Amino acid sequence: MKEGSVYDEGFNDDDDDDSILLEFESGSDIEYDDTGLLRRDPGLASLSDEESGKGGNNGYYLDGATISSRNVVIPKDELYENDGVPKLSYRCLTTDQIYELMLERLERIQPIFDISYEDIIVLLQQYAWSEERLLEDWTENRDNVIVSCGLKLGHEPVASRGIRKHANFLCHICCEANKMKTFTLECGHEYCLECYQHYIKDKLLEGKIITCMSCPLALKNKDIDAIMGDNSSQKLMRSSIKGFIQKHSNHYKWCPFVDCNCIIQVGNISTLSEFPRFHLSPYVVCDNQHRFCFKCGLESHSPGDCHVAELWVKMAQLESANLNWVLTNTKECPKCGVNIEKNGGCNHMTCKSCAYEFCWICEGCWAEHGGGYYECTRFKKEDKNGAVESKNAIRKYTFYYKLFSEHENSAKLDWSLGLTVEQKVKALQENIGISWIETQFLPESIRALIEGRTTLKWSFPVAFYSDPSHNLTKIFVDNQSLLVSAVEDLSQLLQVKEPQKIIDRKLEFFNKARFVRSRDKALVECGRDLLCKGICIPHQ
Amino acid sequence: MSSLCLQRLQEERKKWRKDHPFGFFAKPTKKPDGSMNLQKWEAGIPGKEGTIWKDGVFPITIEYPDDYPSKPPKVKFPAGFYHPNIYPSGTVCLSILNEDQDWRPAITLKQIALGVQDLLDSPNPNSPAQEPAWRAFSKNVKEYERKVIEQAKRYTK
Repeated sequence: MKEGSVYDEGFNDDDDDDSILLEFESGSDIEYDDTGLLRRDPGLASLSDEESGKGGNNGYYLDGATISSRNVVIPKDELYENDGVPKLSYRCLTTDQIYELMLERLERIQPIFDISYEDIIVLLQQYAWSEERLLEDWTENRDNVIVSCGLKLGHEPVASRGIRKHANFLCHICCEANKMKTFTLECGHEYCLECYQHYIKDKLLEGKIITCMSCPLALKNKDIDAIMGDNSSQKLMRSSIKGFIQKHSNHYKWCPFVDCNCIIQVGNISTLSEFPRFHLSPYVVCDNQHRFCFKCGLESHSPGDCHVAELWVKMAQLESANLNWVLTNTKECPKCGVNIEKNGGCNHMTCKSCAYEFCWICEGCWAEHGGGYYECTRFKKEDKNGAVESKNAIRKYTFYYKLFSEHENSAKLDWSLGLTVEQKVKALQENIGISWIETQFLPESIRALIEGRTTLKWSFPVAFYSDPSHNLTKIFVDNQSLLVSAVEDLSQLLQVKEPQKIIDRKLEFFNKARFVRSRDKALVECGRDLLCKGICIPHQ
Repeated sequence: MSSLCLQRLQEERKKWRKDHPFGFFAKPTKKPDGSMNLQKWEAGIPGKEGTIWKDGVFPITIEYPDDYPSKPPKVKFPAGFYHPNIYPSGTVCLSILNEDQDWRPAITLKQIALGVQDLLDSPNPNSPAQEPAWRAFSKNVKEYERKVIEQAKRYTK
């Protein structure tokens, strides 16, 4: 039930959400600089013009302090491209940066409350960082808020807050005598320091206010740090912010890539609903260059839109457990039907039992392949065996799913290839003595390759849902083949290891990467065309 | 079992033996080998005088997790116990027994026992845990009271 409500909130554009502490589209009532920054802010990186956005991203956002003073205001006419295609404005943050920004906002609201920063932090934690809700309750019944958030006792204090020393103290939590150090709040509930440390450690990851072990009086950050003897309260703040992000998932999303701690904040969430109309997806790029869809949280899934991706993933989940193993591990020999496990890299298979030679990808006779290896991305509707219709449907799905997962695997391998590129760059600098900037064609090529592979991968669901008899589908399939060969070419080139050779072939890198990018773009455009014209209709 | 948990439970037992509210009982269960199992208790909660629960002493089990007192114990009535805030399995839905709500490491067995007794006659219709008792309590009080009295007679002192 709890889980559900979190999700619900994520998709409801309720009033509370508009009052998020970190306002993006700050209105004119905020006297921040709103000119001149527009062009420099990578948050404005539109879909078509993300190259320039990427460039700006790193340098600009490394400095947390500079962000907050620049609330971006987007004039209405800049929200859209000329053809009415929506633009997304966003920025990339970390939990720490968000916390810093919250603290800066505190400075502005502190005079209203007229209590210490520490106390306001406790209040905000209780109100899930919703300043507006807090202010409302505060003006209505200030005393009630203070007591219910555990800032003050309902009665007179009976002790002074802090750590105390004893000769012999019996703690009622652990029931051990001879305790020397204890802690108590104004409520007078005194327990040994060890018990408190134990208790706080348990609670730090929950991100909620930590109270006295006996009553609702709140521990403040400085109490926590005093008890723990370090800056543990920062951990609590971090988990609290995480809770905040999860609660406001229509404004904030974690980068879905493994081990990436970036959070994307979108300013103009109202434009999000415009994307489906154009069969586009609101892609964002985090500071680690991970590209993902802000709407569904998946990696980049063009040329498909969110609907295609959603149905495809759903279908894959239903079928995948069995299918995956069978697909990745075995295949029936097209001639004698024996199960064959592929244990090497080559696609030229020879059946051990009947000696039939065939292609692993399309299961066609190898001899017919000759030079037309790339024919393999084409699904041939006329089945040799003339199988029944339903079996055909499964076969068709299996065929596309196979291609999808094979390209997924290749993309994973390329990803690990990408991780070694830094060493290559370093080798280039050291061995050949060229500057860093001149080596950047290498990571750039890797990016083109990975993005090309991702596009290719997601083009199979689109092909699967498209009407195979339509001319545009045929063009789409041709585009796929072109991208496949472009990607494979580049992939091969990136296998080159010797620094000198890499430099010698620099121009080749440039050209091939550029070619992949242009083929990538063409395939995405073509896929969008299929969707817009209703030739590709995602269905269950 | 951690030493912290064990030590605290021994102390809980000592305190309970020294002083506990009238009409209640609570004792640790025995393991198959005859030794005392401090992590699982059996207890009896008497219905308050002057209420429809007064005729019964209701049996509960109290199970302490290994990370007690950081985490609360689990209190259970017999399965199928008739009360709006008790799950069909018998598990009690009470804020002081919920880690995310009002559980505090300082809460003692006595407080839990009294809390459960209190719950018997003052059910919270906002957090129903079972359908039959909740429906009767909010729609047909006569029927509810009849069933409660009938149940109390089954658990007489």
